[in-house]
Amino acid sequence: MRHALHAEWTKLRTLRSTGLLLAGVVVLTVVVSATATGSVDITRCPTPAECHEDTSKLALTGIRLGQVLVVILAVLTVAAEYGTGTILPTLTAIPRRTAVLAAKAVVVTALVVAAGLVTVLLCLAVGRFLLPGGGFTAAHGYPPLSPLDGTTARAFLGTVLYLVLIGLLALGVATAVRETAAALTAVFALLFVSPVVAVFVTDPHWQERIEKWAPMTAGLSIQATAGLDRQPIGPWAGLGVLALYAGAALLLGALVLTRRDF
Amino acid sequence: MNGFGRLVRSEWTKLRSVPRWMITLGAAIGLTAVVALLTTAGSQSVGDGGGGGGGAGAKPPRGHQDGGTFAYRELTGDGSLVTRIASQKADESWAKAGLMIRAGSEPGARYAAVMLTPGHGVRMQADFDDKASGDGTWLKLTRTGTTVTGYSSTDGADWRRLGTYRLGGTAHLGLFVATPATTKVVRQFGGESIDSLPSRTQAVFDRVEPRPEGWRVRGGVPAPPGEPPGDEAFTWDGARATLTGSGDVGPDLYDDDLTRMTLTGILLGLICVVGVTVLFVTSEYRRGMAGTTFTVTPHRGRVLAARTLVLGGVTFLAGAMAAVLSLVLARPFVRESQRGDLALTDPVVLRAVLGTALLAGLVAVFSMAVATLFRNTAAAVTVVLVALLVPRIVATGLPLEASRWLTRLTPAAGFEVQQTFQRYDSAMGPWAGLAVLTLYAVVGLALAARFLTRRDA
Repeated sequence: MRHALHAEWTKLRTLRSTGLLLAGVVVLTVVVSATATGSVDITRCPTPAECHEDTSKLALTGIRLGQVLVVILAVLTVAAEYGTGTILPTLTAIPRRTAVLAAKAVVVTALVVAAGLVTVLLCLAVGRFLLPGGGFTAAHGYPPLSPLDGTTARAFLGTVLYLVLIGLLALGVATAVRETAAALTAVFALLFVSPVVAVFVTDPHWQERIEKWAPMTAGLSIQATAGLDRQPIGPWAGLGVLALYAGAALLLGALVLTRRDF
Repeated sequence: MNGFGRLVRSEWTKLRSVPRWMITLGAAIGLTAVVALLTTAGSQSVGDGGGGGGGAGAKPPRGHQDGGTFAYRELTGDGSLVTRIASQKADESWAKAGLMIRAGSEPGARYAAVMLTPGHGVRMQADFDDKASGDGTWLKLTRTGTTVTGYSSTDGADWRRLGTYRLGGTAHLGLFVATPATTKVVRQFGGESIDSLPSRTQAVFDRVEPRPEGWRVRGGVPAPPGEPPGDEAFTWDGARATLTGSGDVGPDLYDDDLTRMTLTGILLGLICVVGVTVLFVTSEYRRGMAGTTFTVTPHRGRVLAARTLVLGGVTFLAGAMAAVLSLVLARPFVRESQRGDLALTDPVVLRAVLGTALLAGLVAVFSMAVATLFRNTAAAVTVVLVALLVPRIVATGLPLEASRWLTRLTPAAGFEVQQTFQRYDSAMGPWAGLAVLTLYAVVGLALAARFLTRRDA
């Protein structure tokens, strides 16, 4: 397993795209978060307190876009090997195929955790800096975001976990379908289509059901720090739903990988 | 067969002979229809989304309401009605007080009206359409034969003709007031919504000729919540008539756009289309086919043109099939009174179907252009999908105006072509939206042609 890990680490480390994608996750997330946070203010709230603005969630808006690059990184980890044909030497060198997949999962997790931590810390800083400008001040009932606060810490660290699970989900799907375009299309469809459909379903029951069981909306409920009773699903339960998707995708990937020719 | 025809055929063969791609395009059609079924089936347990009228069975045309208060008498032959608006109390600039003639009392009946508005002067409207404008506070409506004519005047002596309308047979002629709802943008729980509150209007008509004695009243005044029943809808004290009302005769920005909801699934279909068109281009580079293609046809611009024709044409047809199938399958799940909203014979529905097909074709051309530029599957798929989805991914929580601009500036503007009427959340008109997407596709194609002819392959 150590050799497998070392091999996977070397493969990913020496690709120029890896560094670019991880830097992209940080930059894209922080820029989108900053734009969203900067564009919102309390002028349209009935009263500042009645706005019930979830400032943690607002400062983490960019994750919705940043996760796209995590998906690409994870998909390329597998699909690029099939595209270039290096999968053959990889599987020849390490015949235990589950070990190959596990090593890939560990390396992707480590990289995403590192990039994710940097991202959420920067988002926290952006939130602290920009929120008071929009009127979200302690005087109006919005204390500055603090990592020492339990729910805020859950939102920010939970977002790192969210990114990891998204990466693992994409890794599993890519292992199952082997092709970059197919894997990316499938994962993006899974993540982004259900929230869009939910908007057009006017029946509130169905809307809630979709939001509860769709991977992105369920997983992102970990970012909620206010109005938890209005969420379709609790923070940890929501992350659990996403974990189920990721686990199922990895299992499917492992099954397909061990059963087919290569 | 000439050279270009042969080129088109070879590109078509390349697409057709990969079973997976044809299956994916078929799946795009199927998925679109499945989402159509889900959205319509999931939406029908809610009450009628339309506002106004409230009569059973009949319904004003989509995106319109037919409310307000109307005091009238029956008119069988020729006749006229004159009045002066003595006063008008309203909060909305499009509140209306004036004269109306209509084919019947059911919601959505044909009508013509002259009216005074607080913010837009004197207007003549017919069948929810603005016909003409005038000035003064005196209004007159006459019918001679089947010709209805509207007039306005500043002094009651010198009348200016505003316009005519054809309405024969038994009709209702009388006084009316109406007002659109008051809307307010409210930010709460991390999102913005538009609140629509019923507003009330009251107008006093004097110098009414003939005198409105024994007239009937349609519509009424809902009492504000928590307050005793409000004023009577219609009173006549011998000299002055007072009408009080709520609800508008005009556009209903909050009506459900059933056609658009039914066609939402095309988003899922488009994701499949993007996958296929990007792969069509990038797999040639990966497998070295691109070299063969460009050796056989050294004129690379022609290859690009043939590809545009084949991919755009095939996805246009697939989009048309998906849209028609969605509407046909969803029809049985829709309430009978709303089935007309999905009828392919309605020009706006036809526009939405044609627009959906064009949307699919343009997205295919755009993704082909991006794939030709990048020559890399991951980059092309991501760029195209993010460009299409970004307003929907990021907009949650943004102020409404910001998310509207996000739609206007990205290829996602193309989805606006699916609307059948202007709603409060429409970012732009249907054809303007499609034009934005077309611009992206054309610019992408031009860049692709430039790079393709200048670089190695």
